[in-house]
Amino acid sequence: MNAIEIRNLSKSFGKKQAVNGLNMTVPEGAIYGFIGENGSGKSTTEKMICGLMHPNGGSIKLYGRDYTDPDVRARIGVLIEAPGCFSNLSVWNNMMIQADNLGIKNPETEIAKVLKTVRMEGAASNKFKNCSLGMKQRIGIAMALLGHPALLVLDEPINGLDADGMRIMREVLTDITKQGGTVLISSHILGELEKIATHYGIIRKGRMIAEMTAAELEADCPTYLSLRTKEQARAGQLLSGRLSRVEKDESGALRVYDPVKPEQVTSFLYQNGVLVSEIQTAKIGLEEYYIDLMKKEGR
Amino acid sequence: MAGKKKNGFISQSFARRLNSMLAVDSRRMFTAPLLYVLAGIALVMPILILVMTTMTAGSTVVDPNTGVETTREAFSSVWQDIASESGAGSSGGMDMSSMCNINLMYFMTGVFVCLFTAEDFRSGYAKNLFTVRARKGDYVVSKTVMGFLAGAIFLICFFLGTLLGGAFAGLPFALGAAGFFGVVMCMLAKIFLMAVFVAIFLLMSVFAKQRSWLSICLSLFGGMLLFMMVPMLTPLDSGIGNVGMCLIGGVLFAAALGVLSKMLLAKQDLV
Repeated sequence: MNAIEIRNLSKSFGKKQAVNGLNMTVPEGAIYGFIGENGSGKSTTEKMICGLMHPNGGSIKLYGRDYTDPDVRARIGVLIEAPGCFSNLSVWNNMMIQADNLGIKNPETEIAKVLKTVRMEGAASNKFKNCSLGMKQRIGIAMALLGHPALLVLDEPINGLDADGMRIMREVLTDITKQGGTVLISSHILGELEKIATHYGIIRKGRMIAEMTAAELEADCPTYLSLRTKEQARAGQLLSGRLSRVEKDESGALRVYDPVKPEQVTSFLYQNGVLVSEIQTAKIGLEEYYIDLMKKEGR
Repeated sequence: MAGKKKNGFISQSFARRLNSMLAVDSRRMFTAPLLYVLAGIALVMPILILVMTTMTAGSTVVDPNTGVETTREAFSSVWQDIASESGAGSSGGMDMSSMCNINLMYFMTGVFVCLFTAEDFRSGYAKNLFTVRARKGDYVVSKTVMGFLAGAIFLICFFLGTLLGGAFAGLPFALGAAGFFGVVMCMLAKIFLMAVFVAIFLLMSVFAKQRSWLSICLSLFGGMLLFMMVPMLTPLDSGIGNVGMCLIGGVLFAAALGVLSKMLLAKQDLV
């Protein structure tokens, strides 16, 4: 079953069309990386999924039911934009309020557990307003984890997290999917997203322009040889004459996409009087894939 | 009763949902400094009113333009700070006792309800709240109950402050025709009437969401329309009829305006 199934979703604010005929499928148990530029409609879509905004058209199904179904909605954990906490209250009291909201029977035990998960057990008595940005994000994640949500909707949760926080986040999200949960996560930090996502959706101007599994992305992202020589222009000419796809990247390094071994390239250039100073095998990542896709779509 | 469905999503009864929502709001309300500050003001305000008016009583003020002399009058009884007896309070006269009495607590409750509700939206907590709480009725009922409770606390604090202020100012405590029963009924009627005001304040608050300045302005305006009726409905010599009328009116108003608040929440974007 799909955890989220969106068909032809639209939402406008006055004349601005924020979401425009969006289709989206998030399978149960997936970590779905939701990617797009600022203002592309990610947050608006997430808010509609959570019932915080009303669509102008289209349908949203959560676990096969309409998104307004109270039973499904009661099992969503959410962190959209910033944690929804009362600044004058302590972290513990904020967590207790959310536990009350969810009707959790043994709130103290569960709060202690989720705070420990995000390594924030020592900050329970701190006032929320005195917490740093990274601490607030961790608390927001802990709050979203309360009540064992079936679906976790996270909007930019990595922002402000340090390296340890990011590692914890990866562990937490992976654990959730192991227990049958589903995660919808939007982020601009694509390198981090790439480490955990099992599915991707790329949105642009309110429309889904690509939706794929991590395996499909992997297949779409070719490996290449990246090399630097003391005569880049001549090396480029030589390689272009012999191989079918040689490009220069933004840093000035040459990229050879043909399936050739590094020693074949170095030996060929050496024979032609060009010394290779650096060569490595690399792979197109999500970030590059995304930038290329945006460039194509922008045309 | 809760029942588990085949996909693991559990239905919750209205009672359980309301219970959890009331737990949220009561925790919030009783940890909010605002409640204690306003309750403190409600306690101190009548003491200041009674003591200060008694201190300046009898002094004469001359209008420099007209030369007319006005003698300042004090409260002649402690109970004037609570209500007037039937007929006396409905004259429409805007003297000290009709303006600066317990009825001010209706406006103070308006300020509390508006700030309390606006904080849900301003803090971003509304995102957590309404994501898991698809039925907006729980929210409206809980906020109405909490607003009513806060209003009752303010009225009781003002009442206690009046007793203290009367003692400090040396004002007579004689009950006259109203009697002890009348004062108790008057206070009960005022407490029940609070439900009418809270329902109005909540409707304005869910309309204005995080813009507390707007909800306060709208609430004070809306409350003002009913404010003039308070002395008539809750005189010092109130009886069971007054209490019953305020109770029924409070319940009906709270229900009708609650439905409107719920519809408003269901129709509009919440963030």
